Amino acid sequence: MTAVIEVDGFRFRYPGAGVESLRGVDLTVEQGDFVAVVGGNGSGKTTLCKAFNGLVPHYWSGRTEGSVTVSGVPTATSTVAELSTVVGYVYQDFSNQLVRPTVRDEVSFAAVNFGLPDHAARTQEALEMLQITHLADRFVWQLSGGQQHLVAIAAVMVLRPQVLVVDEPVAELDPGRAAQIYECLARLNASYGTTIVVIEHHTDLVARYARSVVLMADGAVVWHLPVAEAMARSAELDAHGVPAPQVVQVARAFERTGPVPLTPADAARWLADRGIEARPAAPTGPTGPAGGTARPVVARLDDVRHGYRGVDGRLETVLAGVDLDLHEGERVALVGSNGAGKSTMLRLLTGLRVPRAGTVTVEGVSTRDVSPSVMADRVCYLYQRPEEMFLTDSVRGDVALYPKGRDVPDADGLVDEVLALVDLQHLADRDGRTLSGGQQRRATLAVGLAMRPSLLLLDEPTSSLDIGSRDGVIAMLARLADHIRCVVVATHDMHLVAEWATRVIVLDHGDLVADTTPSRLFGDATLTNRVGLVPPQVAQLGRALGMDPPPLSVTELVARTGARPHAHASASGPHAGTEVPGGTHDA
Amino acid sequence: MARTTHDVLSVEWIKLELLRTAYATRGGLLATMDPRAVLAWYVLLALAPWFTHDATVLGLLFAFSVVMVVVSRVGPLVLGLFVVGLLTEGVYLAVAAWLFGGDVDTLMALAELTLKLGVVSLASMAAFVSLDPEKLSDALLALRAPTLVAFGVSYGYRMLPIFMEEFHTIVDGHRLRARPVPSRGLFAWRTVVNVGVVFVHAFYPMMLNTAKRTRTTVEALETRGFTVAAHDPRSRQVRLAHLRVTRRDVVVLSMTLAVVLASYGAGAVHPTSFR
Amino acid sequence: MSLPRTDAPTTPSGPRPGDETHRGLLSRRPDDLTQAQKLMVFVLSMSLFGLANIVTEVFPEVTIGPIDLSVSYFVFVPLVMVCLFNPLYAALGAPLGEIVFTDLLMGDFSGLAEIEGYLQMFLALYLAGSIVRDPRRRGQVALAAVVVVVVDKLLSALVDIGKVWVGIEDAELVEGLPESIVAIEAVGLVVDVAISGVLFGVVPALWLVPRLYGKIEPLMGMSPRDPVENPVPVLRVTAPTVLTGLVLVAAGTGFAFLEGIDANVGVWEPGFLDRFGTQFLWVGVGMACTAILAVVLVARSVRERRRGR
Repeated sequence: MTAVIEVDGFRFRYPGAGVESLRGVDLTVEQGDFVAVVGGNGSGKTTLCKAFNGLVPHYWSGRTEGSVTVSGVPTATSTVAELSTVVGYVYQDFSNQLVRPTVRDEVSFAAVNFGLPDHAARTQEALEMLQITHLADRFVWQLSGGQQHLVAIAAVMVLRPQVLVVDEPVAELDPGRAAQIYECLARLNASYGTTIVVIEHHTDLVARYARSVVLMADGAVVWHLPVAEAMARSAELDAHGVPAPQVVQVARAFERTGPVPLTPADAARWLADRGIEARPAAPTGPTGPAGGTARPVVARLDDVRHGYRGVDGRLETVLAGVDLDLHEGERVALVGSNGAGKSTMLRLLTGLRVPRAGTVTVEGVSTRDVSPSVMADRVCYLYQRPEEMFLTDSVRGDVALYPKGRDVPDADGLVDEVLALVDLQHLADRDGRTLSGGQQRRATLAVGLAMRPSLLLLDEPTSSLDIGSRDGVIAMLARLADHIRCVVVATHDMHLVAEWATRVIVLDHGDLVADTTPSRLFGDATLTNRVGLVPPQVAQLGRALGMDPPPLSVTELVARTGARPHAHASASGPHAGTEVPGGTHDA
Repeated sequence: MARTTHDVLSVEWIKLELLRTAYATRGGLLATMDPRAVLAWYVLLALAPWFTHDATVLGLLFAFSVVMVVVSRVGPLVLGLFVVGLLTEGVYLAVAAWLFGGDVDTLMALAELTLKLGVVSLASMAAFVSLDPEKLSDALLALRAPTLVAFGVSYGYRMLPIFMEEFHTIVDGHRLRARPVPSRGLFAWRTVVNVGVVFVHAFYPMMLNTAKRTRTTVEALETRGFTVAAHDPRSRQVRLAHLRVTRRDVVVLSMTLAVVLASYGAGAVHPTSFR
Repeated sequence: MSLPRTDAPTTPSGPRPGDETHRGLLSRRPDDLTQAQKLMVFVLSMSLFGLANIVTEVFPEVTIGPIDLSVSYFVFVPLVMVCLFNPLYAALGAPLGEIVFTDLLMGDFSGLAEIEGYLQMFLALYLAGSIVRDPRRRGQVALAAVVVVVVDKLLSALVDIGKVWVGIEDAELVEGLPESIVAIEAVGLVVDVAISGVLFGVVPALWLVPRLYGKIEPLMGMSPRDPVENPVPVLRVTAPTVLTGLVLVAAGTGFAFLEGIDANVGVWEPGFLDRFGTQFLWVGVGMACTAILAVVLVARSVRERRRGR
């Protein structure tokens, strides 16, 4: 094993910043390793990774001390361009690093810029490495987020770097596609020997794919350990704002120390070794019939068909005849893969679009009869990207826009009340864009609340949030029940579905394929496989243990086993279950 | 009035139409040619009308341009805007000339100018609808335009749908959340004013969001050798290596030249004055 | 996603003397824009003005008689850019955005005239941006808005008149034509100054500039323009600047005539020469040379400044 990156006492301070972003980092990354860098917001993860390819300090000036050596070359005496051929960097907002119209041009961009005569062969090779050859002649803007991410990686791999740094690869992707990206990274690592460094806060993915884990806090490395040892220190991870995977939490509920399982399959074996089984008792999860019964209907879709014209002029069907009633008091999760028609359904409910056939009515008013502006009195739609909702220069201004525009009596009082509800009074005068991810989501929720709609629609409210902020948003959503008659969330986040929803609508290629509850959804392996959903780890583990319907939280799973928590202190069998079993998914 | 989904004359339609134009997905004769040859073809036809004041020549050149526009499959929006523009321009000038005491002579003189400008516009439509972004930036690069221009072209085409989508979303946000227009007013002036105000307001978030994008983009450009390429002749060679002038290009160019010369010949044989 | 990130710089300041600081591409002496910053300003200005132009295409037009009350462009967009950022790079980017996003997309690309349009707009914007010393001064911003439209439209009016002159046989002899052309151009100029310059220039700029000042610059890792702490190098009204301006104006109009003169030289019409005498040709050749020379000089100085870092 040789070191490809050596960081020695590296300190860095951005110009004008009061404190150092990196405070004496010592780190060695071995050739061929798969490293996950974890840590809370502001722990210096991104700055450290930008030091690997010389962006720090060549692009971002600032005060440095110590050294970073990449492949034997000190970065201080090299250039970003030279280092880019050794270290590839893929950004978190990767779509902004794609600058060319088509996939092939995008991938060949760097090779052409460096004037490499074999750029065509390299481009082909990079496309094959990422298995996106079939996309080569598509336009970048036609691709889904996951495909764009693969293109961004291929565009970096074309220079054949020894190290690939990927900043939060799955922040904006659904779990199914997140796994695809990681399978890809794992393949690059195994087949091509590329050293992979990821910045990641989804520890379930870290546990499954990474080989070693770097924990960062306050601009320094706390430790760098093999993944099994790292995950076993779940309390430390927790303390640094990086909650351990659910299977680890389950194991820790039974044993405070010792080795932990890294995947659901692993965990099933781990529990079996300790003789812990599912109790055959009645399930405790929500089991009421889907769709409610006598509750009043808030919105109704009646044989709704819709489609868009493609660039080639053909009509692409997005919704193929959907019938659906949404009732008072429901928390509806709309799930399905990208392109299943989720966003279209939400837009149709707002009246911004009217369906090509069928009717959409909200509280008895058809979207065909009134303008979207009038419909806004009943329906509010919160976009996926919060910055598109910040129309004014302060959070307060955004929240007040609707109540003031419609001359709602005591608009100021309402705005204050709503800001208090989402706990943003102290930030009310800031521009929404300057807030953290979680605060931005809460600000958009406040915008929705101030509109006092009967039907609140949210598009991916938890995407690209770290775990802590995500939990905050879910808690906030849970509190909305008193203010809004019905809430619909289109999401890929199965934790959100498990923890919040009471009803799940599954869309697949424009058809409504299931109308069910979270636990029934996660219990139906055929359905989840068909629409590409990955249930939360506890649900997978519960399924492996034969729990039907599967549990939705760690607490529920532990409660539904026969064993008492912490009854088996440090009892370790011969198969302690620390080795990662081949990366096969338990589905 | 019940609302329905329209496929034409909606914002969506204009977006699609622009994209079709931009990406030359309609195909057509000039789309298959070497971009430098297309530029040469354009220059040839754009300069041709300025050498004469003869109606026969200009009429023939105009007819040829119309044929080329049809062969290049120019989209209806682009063509419609052109016709409307040409007509309004003509009407203006005619009215103004009449006000200042002009007569039929003046109108004929204006017809001459309109024909000339028409030929140039039609030629540019046919040529630039047929050039997709890559080809155009390659041609510009081959003509030694600064790399930033070539970059601007391909970046613009890449980001345009994204920017339009984002702008549309923001304007929708205003429609839903801001004060609705109470009444349309005389000639719908309130609506017009409201649209203006919303567009201006929409640029506030748009500017900030784009600034954020730009930072990542420029940083990523640095890591992908963009600044290196600006000073490296090898990069230029590699990028332009695929440009080849084929027999087809030569044929189209010489045919066009022949048509232009033939028009002038016809003009010499049957001269027609505008006055 | 959120900015400012806790681990990214948002309030940069100049490197202190004596600091062992790596001169990164974003090193920050006020008059010393880095390569990356120039590129950012250029790309931002290009993108936004391009988008603005697409938007004006779908904006409703009101036609009253022969006068078309349309918005020729959203001047406020590039104006905000030249007010808040280095006017040179903002002014270089904006007209390119117009060409790329609308002229090319709408199939309205007009070859050589496009270069002339670029020069007009660049000149107008750079001049306007140089008038603004402190974006917080409303008077300067308002004046700049009017300057952009007046300079740009005046130059393009000259070009239009030139086209008629070259394009129509004996244009000046046609009854009513010269007057009507001049009248139309004059009315057009007044309407444009009123609509584009004031309604979509001064008014929105006075609303936007104070809101964006100090907020948009940190997003791109820059410090705001300030006449004392962070003066941006701009044109100063001195003899050389005035001279350069005049040369550029000549270049702008020269390009328009270049087309026509080329054509007439090619045909070698005796009537044309009879009327104006051969010396007119030399005027044309002189203008063409001035234009080419000016373009080469500007291009060189810009490139040198870019490479100088």
